[in-house]
Amino acid sequence: MLSQTVVKRLKEIVGEKNVVTDKVGLLTYGYDGTLLSGEALGVVSPTTTDQVVEIVKLMNEHDIKLVPRGAGTNESGGTIPSQEAVVISFTKMTKIHEIDTENFVAVVEPGVINFDLQVELAKQNFYFPPDPSSFKASTIGGNLGECSGGPKCFKYGVTRDYMLGLEVVLPNGKVIQTGGRNFQSEPGYDLTRIIVGSEGILGLVTKVFVRILPIPRAKKTMLALYDKVEDASQTVADIVAAGIIPTTLELMDNLLINTTEDFTHAGLPRDAGAVLIIEVDGYPEDMDEQVKTIGEIASKIAKEFKVAQTAVEVDQIWTSRRSAFGSVARVRPSYGVNDITVPRSNFPKAIGGVLKVAKDFGVTIGVVAHAGDGNLHPLILFDQRNKEETETVHKAEQALCMMALDLEGTISGEHGIGLVKKKYLDKEFTPAAMEAFRKIKRSFDPTNRFNPGKIIDL
Amino acid sequence: MGVLADVYEMLNTCNKCGGCHTACKTYKLTGIETMVARGRIQLIKAVADGKLEPNQEYEDAIMSCLLCGECAVTCPNGVHGNELVMAARRDLKLRKGITPFAKSFALKTLASPKRLGMGFRLFGGVGKSVLNKLDGMDYFRGIDIRNFPTAKKQFLEQVPERIKVQNPKHKVGFYVGCFLNYSLDQTAHSVVKVLTKNDCEVIIPKDQVCCGLPQYCYGDFETAKSNARQTINTFLDKYSDAEVVLSACASCASMLKHDYLKLFADEPSYLPKVKLFCEKVVEFSEYMDKIGVNQSQLHNSSPLTVTYHDPCHMVRGLKVTKQPRQLLQMIPRVEYKEMFEANRCCGAAGLVQAFFHEVSTDITDQKTQNIKDTNADLVATSCPACMLRLQGGINKAGQKQKVMHVADLMAKAYED
Ligand SMILES: Cc1cc2nc3c(=O)[nH]c(=O)nc-3n(C[C@H](O)[C@H](O)[C@H](O)COP(=O)(O)OP(=O)(O)OC[C@H]3O[C@@H](n4cnc5c(N)ncnc54)[C@H](O)[C@@H]3O)c2cc1C
Ligand code: SF4
Ligand code: SF4
Ligand code: SF4
Repeated sequence: MLSQTVVKRLKEIVGEKNVVTDKVGLLTYGYDGTLLSGEALGVVSPTTTDQVVEIVKLMNEHDIKLVPRGAGTNESGGTIPSQEAVVISFTKMTKIHEIDTENFVAVVEPGVINFDLQVELAKQNFYFPPDPSSFKASTIGGNLGECSGGPKCFKYGVTRDYMLGLEVVLPNGKVIQTGGRNFQSEPGYDLTRIIVGSEGILGLVTKVFVRILPIPRAKKTMLALYDKVEDASQTVADIVAAGIIPTTLELMDNLLINTTEDFTHAGLPRDAGAVLIIEVDGYPEDMDEQVKTIGEIASKIAKEFKVAQTAVEVDQIWTSRRSAFGSVARVRPSYGVNDITVPRSNFPKAIGGVLKVAKDFGVTIGVVAHAGDGNLHPLILFDQRNKEETETVHKAEQALCMMALDLEGTISGEHGIGLVKKKYLDKEFTPAAMEAFRKIKRSFDPTNRFNPGKIIDL
Repeated sequence: MGVLADVYEMLNTCNKCGGCHTACKTYKLTGIETMVARGRIQLIKAVADGKLEPNQEYEDAIMSCLLCGECAVTCPNGVHGNELVMAARRDLKLRKGITPFAKSFALKTLASPKRLGMGFRLFGGVGKSVLNKLDGMDYFRGIDIRNFPTAKKQFLEQVPERIKVQNPKHKVGFYVGCFLNYSLDQTAHSVVKVLTKNDCEVIIPKDQVCCGLPQYCYGDFETAKSNARQTINTFLDKYSDAEVVLSACASCASMLKHDYLKLFADEPSYLPKVKLFCEKVVEFSEYMDKIGVNQSQLHNSSPLTVTYHDPCHMVRGLKVTKQPRQLLQMIPRVEYKEMFEANRCCGAAGLVQAFFHEVSTDITDQKTQNIKDTNADLVATSCPACMLRLQGGINKAGQKQKVMHVADLMAKAYED
């Protein structure tokens, strides 16, 4: 429980309405995209950087921890108040300060929803390439907290690659500005890159300078259909080997084709073993050539290859892909999403590995993958109410992580470590590297006040 | 806990993906997690699991839902947030004996025709005159009370039971509904006019009562059922020659057509009759489109730019969107302009506008801005509740557009 003094001060800082301490309010800030939950001491929603500074100082005076939160859609337990802490919610910092199309920069507050930014940018024919499937809900602050990826990552890179600079409130209450609106890297340490992907454990981001790009003049969306998911993975390897870089190269297996079809009715064949969604963009005159080459490679194995003809068709295909995680509760109520990533060339082996884990442990796994990046999201479906089944799922997840590491991969491509993947981190990094992580955390946050217990234990 | 147990699997199917964040207007405008489908569902689940005892904050989360159904269309898992909220309201009612809002007497009022008439008059007449004396009280919680229309006499008392035409091609039972009866009687007259101009004999049973939607929405199934039974029996037994039961209020129509089936799901012996009734129910635009409108007599002397607002119960309840737009475009010299987010809620949402006025007002302000952006002279819609809400919002914003029912525009064109 927060003392009356603290509650009163918080209300003075952000206003009565922006402080939550009742049980109902707290319950709704205790969960995220995972199956975990916790209960915060309170929730405070600042609207300005100054308020954030005041909050941090107040928390320091009273030795209270803070958990930063955007939309709470992360898949790693990153916003769970797992220790006694106040949640600081950025959903009310939603201003788009500036869109500068001459210098390809937008300046936004962390609570701006990715989709809302895209809508504003589109009015000026620009866009922000990182587009996690959750983009209609997730915030820029959360995107950078996890260094999220999205379908377009294959060609355009992840959130990190679009962060020019940040305004950050440090655990001591001081404000720093990293980077800036210019492309040139900053002199000295690249602090921007240390903060991005740090899951809120180093600082609270209150302003973001993001890089934006003009919308490509043309794009083509293709579908390749396969009997087996292994076949699809071979096309992925072939395309990569041919040195082609499509904008997106996304894979969904039969299970996900069916759950997403239930929702979108996009017309994907329900009997296909897997589908690859391939998109290329660029100048109109380049499109035909690229489509032709990809068509030739895919058709070697695919049972069908087709190019989407209308904008509506393209829209439906993407709605399907984007709702993949969302739709699996149609099969079983709970899911564990894995985020393993392997070198592209090992992608077919990783697919084989996933199928083996499903068989060995007798669990249902649906596979969706940012195949171009070698990033797989095997979704293990189960019912959390069944303790025994849940145990098996945990074991299967561990097996998946080990399999990825064996293939020279990583346990997390884009969802972050949070609480969920913490136990596997020292399998991926040497003790010396783990110690380097801890040292960085300590130098920013010696008293472990920001998002304690996430990524690493001190 | 029966009610929540019945929907438990659906509660448990919400996997907190956040897909409803953009859909849910109450969240979009507040950024508060108790005000989004995901949050509401997790709270209901906590109650079902016995982890949360319903309290005031819980009721607020449940009662502030617009029941707009937008989350249901957007959820990749097929979770219907609006239905879960309905179950939670029912559960609250069963726990407490009365719905929290019933305290406010609004629902009780709606339940009885006599009291309802009084309520409308009180609000529109006495209430208005008192408030008129208070400066700056034109708007009670964002509702434009100074301009709140009240019929001098109930519509049902103004018309005969049957309105005949020379060569009747159809016989239409007219379910008037509270708003058209007590408040917007002009619109009810417009409906009759359009029907008669299209060779329909109109049958208007005098003993029809409130459809029961307001009570149903706040968990009072008993009153809703008793009203529903009377409506069904009246139309089917006493006026069985009516080929259809037509409503010009999207909310009533959706209640009569879809929710009656749910309401009587536990009465198998009565259900066949309910089904028969539901099949007869038709919304005004839908019906006019079906029978084919007499276009040659539609006149209009001056050019008019018109936009259309899809009421929630029209677009997501009845799934009727094309017909009203087509009817509008049949009127000569009408230029039709589509507004941004035409199918999103106007903010009225039953009693939400009165009890959660801050959110409702923001929702309505967005709507009025979207209307303004079209440069239209006139907004047409198909739900009297929307008409009042929209006109209030437009007046408050100092804009000039007039809000009319599709039937009003058509009736006017038949006069010109
Ligand atoms: C259906 C679904 C699909 C998804 N698809 C993808 C996908 O395609 N690619 C992908 O990478 N991820 C995906 N995710 C995961 C998730 O959506 C992303 O991680 C997203 O970026 C999280 O954003 P958020 O606003 O919800 O952040 P939150 O979950 O609220 O927070 C994420 C992290 O950032 C920190 N944080 C938030 N705001 C700040 C701030 N202002 N300052 C400092 N730290 C902060 C939090 O403490 C937390 O550690 C998906 C999730 C779901 C449910
Ligand atoms: S209601 Fe549907 S869209 Fe909303 S969080 Fe739950 S599963 Fe996702
Ligand atoms: S019915 Fe409308 S207001 Fe209610 S939770 Fe769903 S989207 Fe939100
Ligand atoms: S009055 Fe508004 S809230 Fe009610 S149905 Fe009409 S659009 Fe929805």
